[in-house]
Amino acid sequence: MANLKDIQRQIKSVSNTQKTTRAMKLVSTAKLRRAEELARRSRLYAQKMNQVIAEIAGRINCAKVGGIENRCFNKIENPKMVDIVFVTADKGLCGGFNIKTIKAVKTLIKSYKEKNVKVRLRGIGKKGVEFFKYNEVELFDSVVNLSSKPDKARSDEYIRTSIMDFKDGKTDALHIIYNGYKNMITQELHVNKILPIDTDEFECEDSHSSMLEIEAQNEEVMLDSLVNKYVDYNMYYALIDSLAAEHSSRMQAMDTATNNAKEMVKSLNVKFNKARQASITTELIEIISGVESMK
Amino acid sequence: MDKFKLEILTPNGEIFDGEVVSVTLPGEEGEFGVLAGHASLTTLLTSGVIDVEKEDKTVEAIVINWGVVQVDEGKVIILVEGAAAIRGADEAEIAQALEDAKKLISDVADSSSAIASVSAKIESAAQRLI
Repeated sequence: MANLKDIQRQIKSVSNTQKTTRAMKLVSTAKLRRAEELARRSRLYAQKMNQVIAEIAGRINCAKVGGIENRCFNKIENPKMVDIVFVTADKGLCGGFNIKTIKAVKTLIKSYKEKNVKVRLRGIGKKGVEFFKYNEVELFDSVVNLSSKPDKARSDEYIRTSIMDFKDGKTDALHIIYNGYKNMITQELHVNKILPIDTDEFECEDSHSSMLEIEAQNEEVMLDSLVNKYVDYNMYYALIDSLAAEHSSRMQAMDTATNNAKEMVKSLNVKFNKARQASITTELIEIISGVESMK
Repeated sequence: MDKFKLEILTPNGEIFDGEVVSVTLPGEEGEFGVLAGHASLTTLLTSGVIDVEKEDKTVEAIVINWGVVQVDEGKVIILVEGAAAIRGADEAEIAQALEDAKKLISDVADSSSAIASVSAKIESAAQRLI
C-alpha cells in the first residue's frame, strides 16, 4: 500500500531530524558550560569596573572633583547622531534569540528617528547584519565571527571607532544592545547606554566619599584612559555574555525541537497502525466476499 | 599590625582576595605603598609589580600590565587587565609563573629599561620563593 509506505518514510525522516536536534542540543550544552564559566568569571570584574566609574561619575556630579571637563561625563542636550552597536549570533537555530535583539534595535532606532536624531548602526554577528541588509537598513559597518569567538583584542579594536567618534563629537551617544545570559533557561535583553555616562544617576550621599582624591597630576588623562577601558570592557562583556545566552537559547530551542519530533513520531505511529489495520481489514473483506460469491 | 582587605580582579577572575598588612603598587607617577587606614583614593597603575605583604609576613609578587586601584578605608580593590602571580608549589611551577609574568610584561612595556627593572623585580621575587 502506497499510503503505508508514505507514513513509514515520514516516520523515518522525523526521527532522523530528532537525532540531529538532540545532537545539537548536546553540543550546545557543552559549549554553554564553557561560555557560562567565562562570563561568570568576568562578571565580578565588570561589576567593579562599573562601580568605579559610577563612583567617579557621582563625584563629578557633586562637583567634589572640580575642574574636569570630559565629554564622556557631560550631559548632551539635543543629540544629533547616535551610535548603536548590537550583538547577535553568527548562527541561527536558537529560537527567538536574535530576533529579540533585532526588535530592540528597531524600537530604539524608531524612538530616535521620531526625535529627528540620526542613527549610525554598527552590527556584530551574521544574523543581525543579514537581517538589516535584507530590510535595506543601512549599516555603518559590521563584523562577523566575533560574537561566536569573543576576542578581547578584536573587540577593543572594533569599539575604538565608537569611542573616538564620540570623543571627537561626531556622535553624541553610544548604545550597546545585546541579549545576555541570565540562567540556563532565560535570557535577558540589555540595552545599555554606555556613553555619555549619566552622572545624575549617582547620588553622593555617603560621607567618606568626600575624602576621595584622584591621585594623578593629570586627572583628565586618567579619566580618559579609564573611560576607554570601561567602554572596551563593556563591549567585551557584552560579547561573552551574549555567547553564553546564545548557547542557552539554542539548547532550549533544540530541546523543544527534539520533544516535538518525539510527539510527531508518536502520532505518526498511531496513524501507521491504523492504516495497516485498515488494509488488513480490506484484504479480509475481499477474500470473504470472494468466497461468498463462489458459493 | 592592622590589616585590610585586598581584592585583585582580572577579566578572567579573581587573582587575589584576602587580608593583607600592606601593598605596594606601581602607580602611574611612581610606586606607592598602602597600609591600613589609608585615605580614599583612586588612581591608575602602569605595568609593574604589586607586592602584597600578607599577615604571616610573606610577600607575594603579582605582575600586572594595566590597572586601576580604588582605596577605601579598610578595603582596596584593584582592577587589572592582565596579571600573573609569582607563586607555585615547587620550582617548576614557579619557573612557569615567571615565564608568564615576563611574557606579560614584554607585551606591554615599550622601553627596554622598564622591562629590565620589572624583570629584575620578578626575578628577586622568584628567588625568595625558591
